Amino acid sequence: MESQYVVEEGRNGMRSEKEGQVMVANKKTVRGSDVVLRFLAFALTLVAAIVLGVDKQSKVVSVSIVPSLPPINAFLTAKWHYLSAFVYFVAVNSIACAYAAISLLLVLANRGHGKKGLISLIIIILDLIMVALLFSAGGAALAVGLIGYQGNSHVQWNKVCNAFDKFCQQVAAAIVVSLFGSAVYLLLVLLAALNLHKKHN
Amino acid sequence: MASAADKESEKIIPVPTSTSPPPETKGLAAAPPATSAGYFPVVNVVLRFLLFASGLVSVVVMVTSKQTEITQIPFPPFRAPVSAKFSHSPAFIYFVAALSVAGFYGLISTLVSIYALLKPSCSTKILSHFVIFDVLLLGIVASATGAAGGVAYIGLKGNTHTAWRKVCNVYGDFCRHIGGSVAVSLFGSIVLVLLVILSIHSISKKIPK
Repeated sequence: MESQYVVEEGRNGMRSEKEGQVMVANKKTVRGSDVVLRFLAFALTLVAAIVLGVDKQSKVVSVSIVPSLPPINAFLTAKWHYLSAFVYFVAVNSIACAYAAISLLLVLANRGHGKKGLISLIIIILDLIMVALLFSAGGAALAVGLIGYQGNSHVQWNKVCNAFDKFCQQVAAAIVVSLFGSAVYLLLVLLAALNLHKKHN
Repeated sequence: MASAADKESEKIIPVPTSTSPPPETKGLAAAPPATSAGYFPVVNVVLRFLLFASGLVSVVVMVTSKQTEITQIPFPPFRAPVSAKFSHSPAFIYFVAALSVAGFYGLISTLVSIYALLKPSCSTKILSHFVIFDVLLLGIVASATGAAGGVAYIGLKGNTHTAWRKVCNVYGDFCRHIGGSVAVSLFGSIVLVLLVILSIHSISKKIPK
């Protein structure tokens, strides 16, 4: 029985050593892709926040207030903060951008000593919360932008994109960029989960 | 002897790792995680059932939100019954589709995790695959909640800049249904976040240090 234990122990030791090597190799590649993905997320959310944050268009629009009267020409301005969904979008993208920068620094600082545990768990959880926030912001901005693009005849919400075309194009670009950013965050969470699972086996 | 060993292995059923250590060290190695990870599969099943319930409730509340009111329509100018339905807005249609998918997934994953609870040998494999779907579903449910919430907020407050009138002063019941539905789906997305955290935490606990 005892000899069995010794043999078992020896085998375990060998196996854990090999696993250790595999784990180190894994960690290096995963850490590299982690850093790249975080930088990508930082850049994408920054671009999305800036593109929507500077969105503004002023134009002379002919407005018909009463259908029987001829339309009046008015100088109108469309700004991003007129719609609360866009405000939410810019706020969430700024938060995600700041968090990406901070987590990038944390990951780079933790690179030398492979200290896993609490910090990596917190980073995964915050990544997950960023996924939820970014997707909800993208959904909200997309839904409101769709009303602006198509209007809604049932509740008589008129479309505004026929008048403010450049404004709407900028909104669309920001939403697409932000969706790519949220996909990058989703990849980060998936990679972390798969990496943990690989380590476990 | 064999039957006793069988009984022992039956006793530590909630431990998902019971297959990974060799049989000699099972009694020694599996005992400490048994207390810490014992609650995990049960909480997993409960959360998945909550996901199913929240998906079902929010879809039902959203679909039954039809309301007909006599309102002033601008052209031709007289009063007529006009109904408000969820299918009038593409955001709400997307919401219903996404939450149906989430509820269906919740039902299936509840059944599968109950099966894994009874047969712990396949538990870790199932767990790792569920994490992927959980994260994807989180994205879908969160975007649906955001879309429906954004449109409902405009319906509640209106927007003076774009001359979008509020509709909730007329269709109060409709708006209450939509608000309740969005709140339940928000709860569903929080449940999904908890599910992913729980899976990741339980995997990271099992990693040999």
